[in-house]
Amino acid sequence: MIELLNLKKRYSDGTYALKGLNLKLEKRLTAVIGRNGAGKTTTIRILSTQLEPSSGTARINGYDILKDTDAIRSRITSIPQEASPIGFLTPLEHMRIYLLARGMTFKGADEEGMKALKALELWKVRNAPTDTLSGGMKRKLFVAMALAANADTVFLDEPTTGLDPLSRFEVWSAIKQLNGSVILTTHYMEEAQQLAEEVVLVDQGQVLERGSVNSLLSSFKGKIRVEMPEGNRSIKMQYRIGTTRLSYVSKKKAEEFIAMGCTVRPITLDDLFIIHGVNLNDEAEGGEDEY
Amino acid sequence: MNIRFIASLTYAYGITAMARGPSYLVAEIALPLSLLFMVSILSQGSLVVYAIIGGFIALVASNSLSSAGDAAFWRIQLRMQDLFVTTKITRIDYMMGLTLSYFFGSIPGIALYIMIGLAYHIFTPFSFIVLLCIMALVTIATSSIAFVVAGMVKHIRNIWGIASLLSIIMTLLPPTFYPYTALPSFALYALAISPVTPAAILAQSAFGLIKPLNYGLVYAMAALLVIETIVFFALARHFTVWREK
Repeated sequence: MIELLNLKKRYSDGTYALKGLNLKLEKRLTAVIGRNGAGKTTTIRILSTQLEPSSGTARINGYDILKDTDAIRSRITSIPQEASPIGFLTPLEHMRIYLLARGMTFKGADEEGMKALKALELWKVRNAPTDTLSGGMKRKLFVAMALAANADTVFLDEPTTGLDPLSRFEVWSAIKQLNGSVILTTHYMEEAQQLAEEVVLVDQGQVLERGSVNSLLSSFKGKIRVEMPEGNRSIKMQYRIGTTRLSYVSKKKAEEFIAMGCTVRPITLDDLFIIHGVNLNDEAEGGEDEY
Repeated sequence: MNIRFIASLTYAYGITAMARGPSYLVAEIALPLSLLFMVSILSQGSLVVYAIIGGFIALVASNSLSSAGDAAFWRIQLRMQDLFVTTKITRIDYMMGLTLSYFFGSIPGIALYIMIGLAYHIFTPFSFIVLLCIMALVTIATSSIAFVVAGMVKHIRNIWGIASLLSIIMTLLPPTFYPYTALPSFALYALAISPVTPAAILAQSAFGLIKPLNYGLVYAMAALLVIETIVFFALARHFTVWREK
């Protein structure tokens, strides 16, 4: 279980990344979602003892991140955002160095490393320099390192950013094989939907909503998203994101909007992101009452 | 101290790196060898022994200082440091692993200089042992400086220029390739900030290039080198960015 107790982080330039985050995470796989600058990475970095909070604290399975740093480090694994392997070293060499850093013996590191590389289908490239691997394989290597570490808690900061859809699928299937509880941050709502038992939506260092995917989307029950083509201003829409204008309407009205030239899409976690993100920027226009 | 991690990182990043990218070795020894050549020509051979001895020191110092580039690159660009912060290793294990990797990168250059030194019959068992001790201290001191600097840079682009500048200030300006007596005293005092300065004077004394031998100077330089090594190591231990604030 992870408890965040009034966690605050203020950077030296005066920016508040976290404004007193209180949270209890108990599920096996939790996705923290939010816009850029929402505080996701700061939260993960503080929890995984890479960064000190300005005030407040957190506990991971009862261990305090400030007082019990060593105990926490021996029980967690954290894969940083955009971590890249060292180009001329092989996956097996990365695995060995990392697992030795975690305190394993040479024999243990080799055994666990090989097991993880086989499990994530990286065995064939175990002796290839990592700069010859695809982006997906490089990310999978880091997930393999987390798998081999066999930690109680795994933090993954945007593990699939910048990957093509196929590579993302590969990484997702790798994440599903991880032991212990997993906390991941992501921009991809589909990723959260695919993997997470619980989703936490954060913005400006605060929790906006949390719950299972179904409970978070319950407010959209019976609705669909309609998007107005660019330049068409004949119908008032609730939200504007760039040049796209959109609204949430009853499914029964779908045909009506299609006839008016709108695109109709099913509700996903993206929509939760949209309504919070757009409202926070005061860009909303119109209201649902019109329909 | 996690010896296994240090050994593994040193092997992978030092020895494997040499095997997979031999051009790196040529680059490492190019500057000291060029300076040896230039000093020999300009002094018509009279300063060649200074340049050979200085070459040993300049090689390990410039190599260690260039580790600042990788330390910053691993932290800012690759995010590998963040990966290691959350393990059981300490910043000292991490620094030692990278430092030894770079030291291993110097070994072929050191071997080449030993061959040149043997050709010029400059070694005695005593002077050789003193030189090894000096190189060990210079490696620790300059690597420590490299880690402090690497922790201070905010953007990776800056580190390459800073590392080159440090290398020039700390290894080429001090009396590495020429007698320290050629320096005006104010310059000698100013350059004493670099651990390479006392190291070079000590080495010149050990190889009998300073005549008559000034014991007071030898003791003062030995003390200065040890103190600077301790101070720079302590600074690195304190200021090297590990868990960020």
